[in-house]
Amino acid sequence: MKSTRLVAAVAVLGLAVAACGSSAEEVPADGGGLGTAQQPVSIRVIANDAFAKQWQDKLVPEFNKKYPNIKVTIDGIPYNDQLAKTMLELTGTTATYDAVLADDPWIPQLAKTGALYDLKGQELAKWNDPEYDWADFHATPLAAGEWEGKQYAVPVRSNLLLMFYNKSLYKKAGVAEPTDETTWEQYFADAQKLVQDTDGDGKTDSWAVGTYFTKDPLTPTVWQTVLNSDGGKLLDDKMQVAFAGEAGVKALQTQVDLLKYAPPGASTYQFNEPLEAFRQGKTATMFMWGSVFKGTAVDKETTTLTPEEVGITTMPAGTAGPGAHRGIWSAGISKKSEHPAAAWTWLQWVTSKQGEQFVGKEFGTFPARNSTLDGTPPADWAGPVYQALKDGYEVASKGQMWRPRLPESDAVQQILALQTSRAMSGQATSQQAIDQAAKEITELLKTKGYGQ
Amino acid sequence: MRRVRLGEPGTAWLFLTPALVLLAGMLLYPIFYTLWVSMSDFDLATFQPTGWVGWRNYEAVLNDPGFLESLRVTAVYLVIALPLQMVLGFAIAFLLNVPWRGRGVLRALFLIPMVVAPVVAGGVWRMLLDPLWGVVNYTLGLVGIGPVEWIGDPVLAMASVIIIDTWRWTPFVVLIASAGIMALPGDVYEAAKSDGAGRWATLRHVTLPLLVPVMAAAFVVRWLGAVKMFDIALAATKGGPGNATNVVNLYIYEKGFRSLEFGSASSMATIVLVVTMLITFVLFRVSRRLENRW
Repeated sequence: MKSTRLVAAVAVLGLAVAACGSSAEEVPADGGGLGTAQQPVSIRVIANDAFAKQWQDKLVPEFNKKYPNIKVTIDGIPYNDQLAKTMLELTGTTATYDAVLADDPWIPQLAKTGALYDLKGQELAKWNDPEYDWADFHATPLAAGEWEGKQYAVPVRSNLLLMFYNKSLYKKAGVAEPTDETTWEQYFADAQKLVQDTDGDGKTDSWAVGTYFTKDPLTPTVWQTVLNSDGGKLLDDKMQVAFAGEAGVKALQTQVDLLKYAPPGASTYQFNEPLEAFRQGKTATMFMWGSVFKGTAVDKETTTLTPEEVGITTMPAGTAGPGAHRGIWSAGISKKSEHPAAAWTWLQWVTSKQGEQFVGKEFGTFPARNSTLDGTPPADWAGPVYQALKDGYEVASKGQMWRPRLPESDAVQQILALQTSRAMSGQATSQQAIDQAAKEITELLKTKGYGQ
Repeated sequence: MRRVRLGEPGTAWLFLTPALVLLAGMLLYPIFYTLWVSMSDFDLATFQPTGWVGWRNYEAVLNDPGFLESLRVTAVYLVIALPLQMVLGFAIAFLLNVPWRGRGVLRALFLIPMVVAPVVAGGVWRMLLDPLWGVVNYTLGLVGIGPVEWIGDPVLAMASVIIIDTWRWTPFVVLIASAGIMALPGDVYEAAKSDGAGRWATLRHVTLPLLVPVMAAAFVVRWLGAVKMFDIALAATKGGPGNATNVVNLYIYEKGFRSLEFGSASSMATIVLVVTMLITFVLFRVSRRLENRW
């Protein structure tokens, strides 16, 4: 009697478990397509915390006007944790996120996991929007999402390291405004005059420059740009160190010398500090990501400056031409996504002409599409900015001005960050820092199987 | 029907089992996994340890000047910060033990740094110490000093990290020391007084010897907390400038989670674990000897 009861109980439990996994609840191959009012589809996106909230509050409601049955959650992750979290996500057994956002140098590393769709491939083709125009993208930002011939990601927030300048401070110092032809020599000559006492109290209250100086993976991008504008490279085509010479030392020394014309304490400047100093009218120039323009020149709640006061151009020229440094946030679709149709539809909308124009107008995000760059700007301030951006795209492509494109990119950048910091703080000369960086990067690449 | 009696040891093991299983899962598994990773090639494509490489990662990290430098930086931080916090903590505890108006408020205020998240503490101090905008340099400027590059100068950056850490953890030592002082037996003091012992003699020959077990315990607990410090350095200096404040845990964190060099990072973590265990063992032996001596 006891054993009969036991068998019955096990059978009931087994049926219950089987029912839970029955085909009635099975998700179709497209993950429920674009959803219906009764059965909406939910997707999650892993993004950077600098703009995740903006997207959730404004971009998602705009998307939902066209696709009301796709519920999108944007999760913001601090920049320093984002790569590791995304790697864990893509290599895990189950997917939390349907779409992932990646900074420019991360794409090779993420693509190497094999967990990202080729966005131009056949697997997603059945959900392609026929109006989605790949050919409209400018080649420079689009290249950031490409690796080994496949398009793993598409630009969602284009960016370039450019030179901002405060026209009022230039005028006060009696210095001509910089152009895309201003050389580093001219820039340093002007910098001496741009360290000035603007209110006549006998104390210096305005300095020439603010940019990344602290120990941070983005700090070396400044001297990397100087190196590139002299025709140099970090790594050659064989992935061997190409900066360990006079050109590398000169480029790093240029950034070290900038510190002489920067405000007290600038050696700790990361992203926010130079931005704040420039917005408060404390520095005449700033080498910074161009996408901060709206918050720096337009938005009254974040800046003391006006669009008429703020100029933007490429970074000073070296022997090969002016400088810029590519920094494109791109987004890809995880192969582990249970809702690829909805995820790809969302990404196509965000990066469509309509989506791009919306984020350009609302957030001041830089476009990647030629039609947006050449079309009517979303506001008066955007006209000259888009011109500087177009110039910057050309310059960046010509000089291959981006961080190394290999799966070990972040490790390389960490080594450069440390050695740059040693040079900035006087713990090493530029020559010693470059030599040590070259040695460590060569060793790293050797252990990873690159012929050195 | 026979009833099985487990007896006292059996019952004890039965009740201990859930805790042991939990500990094994939460402590032993990560340790063994770290050991495994440290002796493997870590494949980033699968995010899994793959080929067995033996001691290769250990050899590499022991030849890594950055790792050795971070050990040195950690030693400097520990040698200065720990005694400083112990001395300050006990001194403040003695002051708070003397009855005076307002000491209750001060006691409560002392707890605030402990409940501030370390990353917030690092960030706030970074703002306070900023040469252009910070209140510390502004105040120093009023008496003609500065501007001082607290975070930008390699030596001052280490001093800043120690100051922030001391601000945050001295109250913990105060708390333990206060509890110890309040638990001291009154009759011993009466005996010392009747023997004619003065204030310094009482402190030196009665109070301090009686407090040795408390001091030893506080030191070991602080040692274990200090040796794993990295959040304050991360928030305040990012380990810079250069390697000036790159404590070993921050170095391991950056190797692992920024450079994604998990094999090397795991080897470093294992080395640090072994060294910490050895030093902790020595500290326990020393503290026991001190307790027995007094």
